[in-house]
Amino acid sequence: MPFSDETKDRFNAAMGVLKTIVTVGWIPAVIYIGYRNSYPQPSLIKLITPLA
Amino acid sequence: MADKSFAATPAASPAAAPTPAPSAFTPYLDAVANLFHPVAGPVMNTYAGFHGWKESMGLVQPGTVENLTREIQQVHLANWLFEGARADVAKVVSANPAFQLTHSFQLTPGAGGRYNFGAIFANANSFLQGGIDGQGTVTMRANQTWSPSDVTKLQGQLVSEAGRSMIQIEHDHLGPHYSINVKSMNPGLLDGTGIHIASFFHSITPRLSLGLETVFQRPQPSILETATSYFAKLTSLPTAAPSAAAALSPAGQPTPAPFVPAWTATAQLQATGNLQATYWQKLSDKVDVALDFQTVFQPASMLGPAKREAVTTLGAKYDFRMATFRGQVDSNWKVGMLLEQRFTPAFAFLVGGEIDHAKNTSKFGVGIMIESSTMTQEEMIAAGMLQPV
Repeated sequence: MPFSDETKDRFNAAMGVLKTIVTVGWIPAVIYIGYRNSYPQPSLIKLITPLA
Repeated sequence: MADKSFAATPAASPAAAPTPAPSAFTPYLDAVANLFHPVAGPVMNTYAGFHGWKESMGLVQPGTVENLTREIQQVHLANWLFEGARADVAKVVSANPAFQLTHSFQLTPGAGGRYNFGAIFANANSFLQGGIDGQGTVTMRANQTWSPSDVTKLQGQLVSEAGRSMIQIEHDHLGPHYSINVKSMNPGLLDGTGIHIASFFHSITPRLSLGLETVFQRPQPSILETATSYFAKLTSLPTAAPSAAAALSPAGQPTPAPFVPAWTATAQLQATGNLQATYWQKLSDKVDVALDFQTVFQPASMLGPAKREAVTTLGAKYDFRMATFRGQVDSNWKVGMLLEQRFTPAFAFLVGGEIDHAKNTSKFGVGIMIESSTMTQEEMIAAGMLQPV
């Protein structure tokens, strides 16, 4: 498929931004989804304290 | 006129599904369906006939190509043995849906200390896992089960350094007698670069399944390299339906199902020309035995001189009530073991080691696994994790 260099550059730049977003945000997203869906819903402090 | 159209449609659609409540569109929809019936009917009937023929042969779902040697990997130490000290702390926040936060500390001689944080969320249909280690590498996994026969999996390792990241997306389709898997690693959306793998596995008889896997490597849009591997899997006779065993005895307790020894043998001819043959047998419901034979044929290259070697590994796994023991012997004069002993539901202790008698080296590892829960006792009983006292 013929894409111009400018399109490829823009696409690669967008991929780079997406990659940064996913790298930074994946684990917080998993923790948030787990926190909202877990039953019984824990309090925030229970996520941080180990062994309790 | 209205009578004629109503009379024509119901009689001409014998193969229609149970009709829903009639609406104003029903005669129109019936007419449209009947229009395609001459074309779709023979195709569907042929497929149904083919499916019925395969069912009459008693074919089974063979499992995926990825899980071909899964039982072997559960028994042999390659995925389980570690060196040095290790502590895993898992914080169970919720049981259903499962949500856990894990902290993992590893101390290996020569590599120093390592810390890894992970979060796991598992639903009926989704599985999300994320982990980050001390160097900032984020590992992610996401599985979505669309239906009992379709699973999509996404896996990635994201490094902040450009060009070292890896992302893999795959889709598994489990048909009634076959499995199709399509996988893509680092796909370049614009030019189709990356590594694409497609595999197909079909059950030929109730005990034998054959399949192949093709790897399409496309480092640049103009270069395409393919490599094909072939697989075969032979299992013991599939066990009879457990309905008879599940019938209640007069005392009211279900009779325990009689143990039927099961074995699986697989053979793989890999694209590199190497052969791998495995044999796994369940000797009793607590003992597994696995044998693995792998050839390593390499032509002379920059990695070293030409090699024609083979390795045979024999391992066994013993499941006790509170412990699991794995032992393994190798044809390279290596002996290894791993013991996982569970003292309480929250605390487990691991010790494992491997001695290489040919080279006179050894490696040992000890570890602990702690599982703590945020729920109070009442919440655990409500979630079904504990029996009420």
